[in-house]
Amino acid sequence: MIMIKKRRIPRLLQLVLVVLGIYFGFILTFDVILGQLIPKSLLTMYMFFVISGVLMVFTFTEESTQELIDPIKALVEDPSKKMLRNIVFVIVPLLAGLYTYSSLSLSFEAPVELRTIHPAPPSKVKAYGKRFDLATLENPYRKYEKEDPDKFRELVKEGGDVYIQGCQYCHGDKLDGKGPYAEGLNPTPLNFQDVGTIAQLQESYVFWRIATGGPGLPAEAAPWISSMPVWQDFLSEDEIWKVILFLYDYTGHQPRSWEHE
Amino acid sequence: MRQINLFKLVLLVGLLLVAGTTVAKPGDLDRGKEIYDKRCTWCHGDEGDGLGAAEEYLNPPPRDFTSGNYKVKTSGFDEMVPNDDDVYRMIRDGMPGTSMPGWSSLLSKQDMWDLVAYVKMFAEFEEAPEQQVDYGTPVATSAESIAKGKEIFEDGDRCVECHGKTGKGDAIKGLKGDASERTWPRNLTKPWTYLGSNTPKDIFTRISAGIPGTEMPSFADPKSKKVLSIEERWHVANYVVSLAKTEKVINAENTVIKADMLEGDLPDSPDDERWEQTIPTTFLLVPQIIGEERFFKPSNDTITVRAVYNDKAVAMLLEWDDRTKSIPGDERAEKIADKPIQEDGVAVQLPIEIPDKMVKPYFGMGDATHPVNLWQWKSGTTDAAETVAMFNSRGFKDVEARDAADAGLQAKGSYHEGTWRVVMVRPLTTADAENDLQFIEGRFIPVAFAAWDGSNLGEKGSRHTMTTWYWLLLKPSTGVMPIIMALLIAGLFAGALLWWARNAATGKAAGKDSKEGTV
Ligand code: HEC
Ligand code: HEC
Ligand code: HEC
Repeated sequence: MIMIKKRRIPRLLQLVLVVLGIYFGFILTFDVILGQLIPKSLLTMYMFFVISGVLMVFTFTEESTQELIDPIKALVEDPSKKMLRNIVFVIVPLLAGLYTYSSLSLSFEAPVELRTIHPAPPSKVKAYGKRFDLATLENPYRKYEKEDPDKFRELVKEGGDVYIQGCQYCHGDKLDGKGPYAEGLNPTPLNFQDVGTIAQLQESYVFWRIATGGPGLPAEAAPWISSMPVWQDFLSEDEIWKVILFLYDYTGHQPRSWEHE
Repeated sequence: MRQINLFKLVLLVGLLLVAGTTVAKPGDLDRGKEIYDKRCTWCHGDEGDGLGAAEEYLNPPPRDFTSGNYKVKTSGFDEMVPNDDDVYRMIRDGMPGTSMPGWSSLLSKQDMWDLVAYVKMFAEFEEAPEQQVDYGTPVATSAESIAKGKEIFEDGDRCVECHGKTGKGDAIKGLKGDASERTWPRNLTKPWTYLGSNTPKDIFTRISAGIPGTEMPSFADPKSKKVLSIEERWHVANYVVSLAKTEKVINAENTVIKADMLEGDLPDSPDDERWEQTIPTTFLLVPQIIGEERFFKPSNDTITVRAVYNDKAVAMLLEWDDRTKSIPGDERAEKIADKPIQEDGVAVQLPIEIPDKMVKPYFGMGDATHPVNLWQWKSGTTDAAETVAMFNSRGFKDVEARDAADAGLQAKGSYHEGTWRVVMVRPLTTADAENDLQFIEGRFIPVAFAAWDGSNLGEKGSRHTMTTWYWLLLKPSTGVMPIIMALLIAGLFAGALLWWARNAATGKAAGKDSKEGTV
């Protein structure tokens, strides 16, 4: 018995520490690392699950429950803790009152909006008044990368011209999604340098996204339509294939291909 | 052992610091060309002449490096050649309000120095400049210095001539840059649009060296009638810093226009003092580059919105800086405007129903299944007063005119020193619930805006600036409820705790008693 009774952090403090740790973990990942403020309502929901979960773990056995409750009981019942008790008895009701006040005097935060960035494409897509089968559609210019590098450079350059005239305002001249007008759009234009966008996609998928733009996305990508223009209205099929060459060339990403699957 | 490690660490940090400062070694032309050809030709052109593919889509246009003009430089006013540090700084940090991005996120320091060397070569700049801006003894900012600066700014219209009385760049003067592009004097109340920065030192430097390639002159040039002493230039710089209008800063987190409930009448004029008490929310205006006919060279950049409501109606105040009051037929306005001049305008876009599940209409004038309601105000001509019109649309091409008066929509605008303020008022509910949004308090209502500057490239129709969807919320008045509930809950908690403690105490006491009893 005495062996086990090593000095360790009291269970109650452990519980508080774990909950606080997770709370700040959320804030750190969302606000600092992802650079995206986590909405209060979402955080409240997450923390509700976290606290229930942690409580369940900490009260798994009767013994551990007892260990958790003991210090609380002691606080209330032990005459020697009178001073601490008085302090706690003032602070707890105050906190409860404050919480009630702040949750009732509505915060007016914008509603949380979540959406799918890469919805599954329909198997057949319509563009340029034709139907395309994304499973077999290929970039007609990709082959020159090996066969005729000079010609390939030329095509990439033409794609770059299309990009700088049509796309940099939103996706940025560095292809980082930070064009001069990006901040004024919702959802914000995608960052092609990031490994999560075109690096994950086949060229046929990218072709579909460019040709049909925001309005061409299936319903699950809603709840609303992005500002990505419908490029079949402005560019030829050729120009889209060339701008795709440029996107991969500039960022150094490789398109995904079926062989890699 | 510890100490040795610490010593090594200090040494390492020291070395790194030294290395960091000595990186400023002359750039390598060949490597510079390589990077330039991959990253910069799109705008600045293969030959550095500013004729890249993007040229006709950008204002200001990409710089023609063969001209030798560098706008942000610290060399003296009679020097063409900039300091290497100046060029490096613009490449590293970019130029706000233009399409020139900062490259430090993508390129290494050495890359950027290589570019400095290569870019300067286009104007055959080889020697370092001889003259530098003389800073003398800087004058710290103070109420007194700012007051002196204001006087100098206004004296003989020194700066007012171009930047306008309040610094918004609204003076009636058509200016051109060296590439014969239209230039607008900077709106000095929006320091985040400065190419340099709005520290007193940077402003002092711009006033002293001028902005080459534009009509912004040097005020250090003794040949100028408007020449200023070093001390005077510090006062003006301090004054310019004080012009910043912070409520016009965009806060990306703030996407909700909060309308307070008012007792009594709503302010129906832009100049009503009660607007001062409302919360301003500012949004970025983006040119319409999405549907035909696209528009690439905007002049309006932000719009600030306030709203209030009462039991009958909602009122919105739309405020935006526009350097020109565009009144077709007005001689002064016609003179400064790009031809043909059009009316200025602003529009509010709302869905017809408050959407469930956040499905919003397409932000560019709605879509087939989700129509929108548009309120459009126009500034009028010399022959006709201002107007307000109403439309319902299902996309750019499916627009139906409605009767604004029927829906009770009213609008009133006023222009003052470079700023339009337009109030729009509409009843909360209308008779035509099928076609008009019915406002409900406490609900998040999508709202978007558009603006037209009729003096800028004839903005009209689809050639305009716009915002994406934001939210309008008629804030329900919570009254004293929260306080009462908070007190109640606090009281309950306190009561429960006391009861628990008392119970525990008496329980213990009882336990003791019984124990004693058994003894
Ligand atoms: C008006 C701004 C705007 C312009 C101009 C624009 N885009 Fe986009 N683009 C967007 C937005 C917004 C998205 C969608 C973001 C989302 O759905 O989350 C997008 C998405 C994309 C995607 C999908 C990427 C993915 O990972 O699914 C591609 C590819 C793309 N754009 C390419 C282009 C190309 C090529 C051009 C020029 C020919 C262009 N964009 C011009 C705003 C723009
Ligand atoms: C999307 C177009 C674009 C790209 C790409 C671009 N620039 Fe620029 N750059 C501009 C524009 C526009 C200006 C002029 C801004 C002005 O006059 O206010 C400019 C101005 C400059 C200036 C002048 C600074 C001064 O003090 O006047 C330098 C130097 C410069 N760019 C270097 C570069 C380099 C180096 C690259 C490539 C790494 C590059 N730019 C890529 C658009 C671009
Ligand atoms: C003849 C017209 C003219 C006069 C007079 C003039 N400016 Fe300017 N100023 C301009 C123009 C045009 C620009 C914008 C240049 C450009 O296109 O980049 C400008 C830009 C500026 C900027 C922005 C600098 C930056 O980093 O972007 C400041 C600050 C400024 N002026 C201050 C002043 C002050 C202070 C005075 C009076 C002492 C003054 N100007 C007088 C035309 C003028």
